[in-house]
Amino acid sequence: MKKLAPALAALSLAATAGTALAQDVLRVSAIPDEAPTELQRKFAPLGAYLGKELGMKVEFVPVSDYASVVTALTSDKIDMAWLGGFTYVQAKERGRVVPLVQREEDARFTSKFIASAASGARSLKDLKGKTFAFGSASSTSGHLMPRYFMQKQGIKPESHFKTVAYSGAHDATVAWVASGKVDGGVLNASVWDKLVEGGKVDTDKVKLIGTTPAYYDYNWTVRANLDAKLQKKIAAAFLKLDAQKPQDKEILELQRATRFIPTRPANYQGIETAAREAGLLK
Amino acid sequence: MLNRDPARWPRLLTALVVLALLVPSAAYTRFDPFALFQPETLSTLAGFVAGFFPPATGAAFLAEVAKETLTTVAVASVGLALAMAIGAPVAFAVSRGLDAHRLSGERARPLAEGGKSALRAAMVLLRGVPEIVWALLFVRAAGLGSLPAVLAIGLAYGGMLGKVYAEIVESQPAQPARALAAQGAGRFVRFAWGVWPQALPELISYTVYRWECAIRASAVMGFVGAGGIGQLLDTSIKMMNGGEVSTLLIVFLLLVLMTETVSRFARRASESRAGLAVVVSAMLALFVASVAWLAPGWQGFEFAALPRFAAEFFPPDTDAATLAELARGTLETLAISLLGSAIAFFGGALLAVPAAGRFGAPARAAARLLLNLLRGVPDLMWAALAVLAVGLGPAAGVLALALHTSGVLGRLFAETLENAPREPETALVALGAGRVAAFVHGLLPQVIAQWLAYTLYRWENNIRIAAVLGIVGAGGLGQQLYLALSLFQQQAAASVIVAMLLLSWGVEQISRAVRRRLEA
Repeated sequence: MKKLAPALAALSLAATAGTALAQDVLRVSAIPDEAPTELQRKFAPLGAYLGKELGMKVEFVPVSDYASVVTALTSDKIDMAWLGGFTYVQAKERGRVVPLVQREEDARFTSKFIASAASGARSLKDLKGKTFAFGSASSTSGHLMPRYFMQKQGIKPESHFKTVAYSGAHDATVAWVASGKVDGGVLNASVWDKLVEGGKVDTDKVKLIGTTPAYYDYNWTVRANLDAKLQKKIAAAFLKLDAQKPQDKEILELQRATRFIPTRPANYQGIETAAREAGLLK
Repeated sequence: MLNRDPARWPRLLTALVVLALLVPSAAYTRFDPFALFQPETLSTLAGFVAGFFPPATGAAFLAEVAKETLTTVAVASVGLALAMAIGAPVAFAVSRGLDAHRLSGERARPLAEGGKSALRAAMVLLRGVPEIVWALLFVRAAGLGSLPAVLAIGLAYGGMLGKVYAEIVESQPAQPARALAAQGAGRFVRFAWGVWPQALPELISYTVYRWECAIRASAVMGFVGAGGIGQLLDTSIKMMNGGEVSTLLIVFLLLVLMTETVSRFARRASESRAGLAVVVSAMLALFVASVAWLAPGWQGFEFAALPRFAAEFFPPDTDAATLAELARGTLETLAISLLGSAIAFFGGALLAVPAAGRFGAPARAAARLLLNLLRGVPDLMWAALAVLAVGLGPAAGVLALALHTSGVLGRLFAETLENAPREPETALVALGAGRVAAFVHGLLPQVIAQWLAYTLYRWENNIRIAAVLGIVGAGGLGQQLYLALSLFQQQAAASVIVAMLLLSWGVEQISRAVRRRLEA
């Protein structure tokens, strides 16, 4: 069996060499802030649209956790990713990335605090000594910003709540509060609105108890060494989407965007400061 | 004949200390056995369990399951091959059974001896870090997919094989190697002609057994994003899709059953020369097929990223806040292991009685099936499921350990019951004692010492497991490691890993000392 070790090494070397090919496929991923099936559903028409606009194949690479998207983007394994504000800052810290566009909504994004009706809580104060769930630890709207704003109000989650848990995703947080597994939680306002509009959450069981101040969140970011012309074409394709056109409307609705606007690194300075103050970025 | 347990006082004392620690442990892990039976928990649980039926059978899903099952087997096989590539040369280099100065009275060379000690220490480190932690590290360093899982199994099992292969070599009769040494034969000749022919069946047999373990390990790698059946299970659990979860559990249990059968068959076959040839060829074929299956997915794995990533772990974070967190995590890990093992003692005992056939054959079969089920599902899988039942946190870890260990202990307890002499009990019944009284006074005293010894041994093992259960959200040090690595706080992660290693090392030292005392 010992003879097989060099063969193994040679094989994996050959595999690594295969990646440095000319760009004919755009590999895209997204932080898994919702169920994997939901991510695919949201991406399908956008992917088709980008493929047509850019004249190249667009491939969605599903990834199981937030940190892996950051690693994949900064190690050039994917070309573009849908990142949260915090994951963007992490990517910027760990490699060279360029934020291209964001939804108009992302410039004034908020998080919603929720509590189960059974807990009787009407505010964060009422949740003292109860159980609480954030989304993913790497989430901007499901963890970082709510934590930061709580801290500003003098609430330290680890001592204010009986337990602090991380559900992993926004829709999971709602499911947990609805099932009574935790008393309260916090999630992305956009997902909350979508679940309420779609009747996916029983508002008799899950109560809205607060909203954070606004902050910058999600964006579409590319790796910095992606062809500059291609970067421009991608940004242009996003900015061209128009809710007046029926075919664009479907894409925008799935992305929960009225339109896309250009973004720049400075927009995320506030997130970076919050991350340092909350001790999540060292 | 009723033997008095010579170690009854130390055992009794240990039992009392353990009991005294249980109450604070329960408080510390916030494990509330009664909360499990509260109406709302029960209705959530009932809803989830009811969702298990019927198992998901959609064609697309089944195709996915088949694909990931193959990946699981392939990862285990290639991982084991890598482990052999690490373990075999190391064992050859360090095994005392091949040392010239031990075989022929030649003088030992200090430099060579120092090198061997360093190699042994490296092997301790490789196997001291649990494979799931290796997998998580590789996933963070160089991306998702099956290669991190292969490397994780390769390193952790490489450390194990290095040690065990060396021990197997040492356990062979020394005369042939000694005779060769006396003729001035070198290390390789001493090995190839003095040890290899007699050690081969045992080496192969142990390797096949490790392959069986590797399959179970490979099945949970997906919990950290390293592919295989565990990845599907992770997604289905997160999405609370009970039907998919039950299909995956059934497939997993069938896979384990199949592996156990193949492994038993192969180990029996390796006793004969012809059988050995068949087993070795089958292993080679499996390895080649596995590499062919996995290699396309290895594209883009960045080996170059590994050293840079490793450098980020130094120096480990030692600021006061991190250390306080670590102390808390360590205590939580200990509390989880203690409470989980204690509950498993009672659970195992309750199931062992019917499993030993004391309530008739149907009850025996049912109890054995339940024990196999509890034991067959790995701790990490139970933890992922327990997180659903009781929420994230240490309570889920307690439940997971309690379930898995009940299965392990129940089987061992049942065996002790079956092997214990029945005369005292029969005599008591003949004198008019009730069934319960006869059992308690006639049988239990003979087995209880053995039961406690098994439980203590399992507890030691469970401390190491409790340290990693947090990777799927079940509290303790593992949860801190997962959070630190998610936030790219490598230095804090390094501190957690050091704490894990120290905990595991400390427990081993204490248990070795205790066992020596008991044996003396």
